[in-house]
Amino acid sequence: MNLPELEWQIIYGRLAWAAVLVTILAALLSSAWPHSRRMPGAAMAMLGISVVVLSMLPGEASPAYWLGLAFHWPSGLLVGLCLGKLYLLRDGRREHNAMPVGLAVPVALAGAVLYLDAIGLLSLGVYYLGFEPVAAPLSALALALAGSAAVMLGRLRLQSFALLLAAVIYMLLRLPTGNLWDALLDPLLWTWSLVSLAGMARWRWQPAGAGLHKRGHISRVQTQSVEDAEKSA
Amino acid sequence: MRLVLPKRNPCSRISSDLSEQPALAKISGAIEVERPATLRRIRWKFPFAGVFCVAAVLAGLAAEVNRWTGDSAEDGALAVVHIAQHRTVSLHKLSSSHIPMPQGVPSAHASTLTALKGDELLAFWWAGSRESGPDVKVYTSHWGGGKWSVPREVASRDSLGDALGIGIRRVGNPVVWTARDGTINLFIVATGLGGWAASRIAHLVSSDHGESFEVKRLLPMSPLFNTSVLVRATPVGLADGGWWLPAYFELGIKYPMIMAFDEEGEPEWLARIGERTTTLQPTIVPVSAFEAHALMRDASDERRIQQAFSRDGGATWEDLPPLDLPNHSTSVAALRLNEGGYLLLHNHVTEGGSSRNVLRLSVSKDARSWETVFDVARGEPGEEFSYPALQQVGNELHVTYTSRRTSIEHHVYRIAYGKELP
Repeated sequence: MNLPELEWQIIYGRLAWAAVLVTILAALLSSAWPHSRRMPGAAMAMLGISVVVLSMLPGEASPAYWLGLAFHWPSGLLVGLCLGKLYLLRDGRREHNAMPVGLAVPVALAGAVLYLDAIGLLSLGVYYLGFEPVAAPLSALALALAGSAAVMLGRLRLQSFALLLAAVIYMLLRLPTGNLWDALLDPLLWTWSLVSLAGMARWRWQPAGAGLHKRGHISRVQTQSVEDAEKSA
Repeated sequence: MRLVLPKRNPCSRISSDLSEQPALAKISGAIEVERPATLRRIRWKFPFAGVFCVAAVLAGLAAEVNRWTGDSAEDGALAVVHIAQHRTVSLHKLSSSHIPMPQGVPSAHASTLTALKGDELLAFWWAGSRESGPDVKVYTSHWGGGKWSVPREVASRDSLGDALGIGIRRVGNPVVWTARDGTINLFIVATGLGGWAASRIAHLVSSDHGESFEVKRLLPMSPLFNTSVLVRATPVGLADGGWWLPAYFELGIKYPMIMAFDEEGEPEWLARIGERTTTLQPTIVPVSAFEAHALMRDASDERRIQQAFSRDGGATWEDLPPLDLPNHSTSVAALRLNEGGYLLLHNHVTEGGSSRNVLRLSVSKDARSWETVFDVARGEPGEEFSYPALQQVGNELHVTYTSRRTSIEHHVYRIAYGKELP
């Protein structure tokens, strides 16, 4: 096992929780913003700086101290996806899902096996594999290469970038805990994947067009165009 | 509604992002779509993405290569002296005392012992107003010259929280191990948000014989916010100077586990002991260089001491049938003596008694069949003598245990060997 130094863990934890907090606050504020306009970049930057500064305060004054009490450290992948979501919010793409089905399905499945094993209902030792001295680093390297290739090829770029970030942080400093699983998955990320899948399933099972109306993807002008297209067909 | 994509998609510039929404992509390909201005510039805006990716991967690869070249192989064999012939063991009581308690602290529990050079000992335990109380702290006392020193505070929830950078709600069981180089490794249960199910294990080290401790880290033992892992029993030494730390998972379901450390006190690997989901607080004794026996507290309806066996240096464990010794969910302590034979300190349950009012010492030549030696403590039903710890120092056996939840009692016995056993 190669475990990270405590000092690095504390720095990582504060920055990581700051990223997660900024994303949650930015998403909440964006949804409250007038629909036709995006949240100004200056407002988002101010929010980010405020939360990072707050997270760096010593001891109990830092939100990371209390979030760590309950949730320990977030995974690198969760942090990367939060940064990706921030990027989308900055561009005014509120409806864009940072957890697409291509990522949500493997995260949900891996989490199900990992957590069933962790609570003792399975006895596979899946978590322990994340400490393997050769297999875990090689897996991280493979994930980093896959993430890089996907970024350069333009496939799920934000998500691939998040994967690359998580793998490289693990390879460089073994953050957040020294276990590869903790770099790629945490219960919050797993919950996000389940909620995303549930939302996608709900959207898919709605009558054609209804889901699009509800999610605001198609305006009235578009609706008219769709109806015209149907008539001509 | 049936929409067909044209041969050349006019929205090809945003295809990578819209690929997650195929229905929308189909619509956008066939008809005029009203798009926000921002959607038109979804192209990746980081012109050096390729360079950055390659640099990041190369940096990670360099860090891994650096680690691989610095790693050394460990053999992982247990520190066991081969015994040609087992002999009978007899114990003669030398002294009995209570470890001094901190002033004005009414509750004490979960002691642990470690030997220092010169036949000296250090004891650690937690004390406070009550179990799980916010004022509970871990204390230590030094045994030398036949008496205990005034107790000193080692860790509290505030000191651990300050060092770890995250909040600690409560402090629990300590477990101690002295490495071959004299470094004292102290493991303390420290909970997050919640009860004992939110426990994590803090690793502290002392390089000055226990005068001061530095927090090293929280041990990563669970993917569930690193919670629900605890320690109770004393570690077991390895031939290469490393040791195994017995631990357990407890979140309704309970199962035992071990974490192996190298001689420098760095964790090496983690393994689950057996497949039962109702056993906890394992205590481990070495049988041979690669064989070990684990004895465990039972939280099932069987109410007997549970056991498991490993033949491959702790990597895998096979559950064994429970011992014919009662265990109404109480902690046990086991020890392999330096000259052979095993000792087990456990709560015995008598007719009309309670689960923790009798603390019994048993002996075995193989860690499987046990014979009673004597009762170390015996009280009225409802009284508690529990959470024992054993430590051999030369030809002396030191025993500590929780006495009525108000103090830690300490007994010293002289170990004598008799005739050879068949």
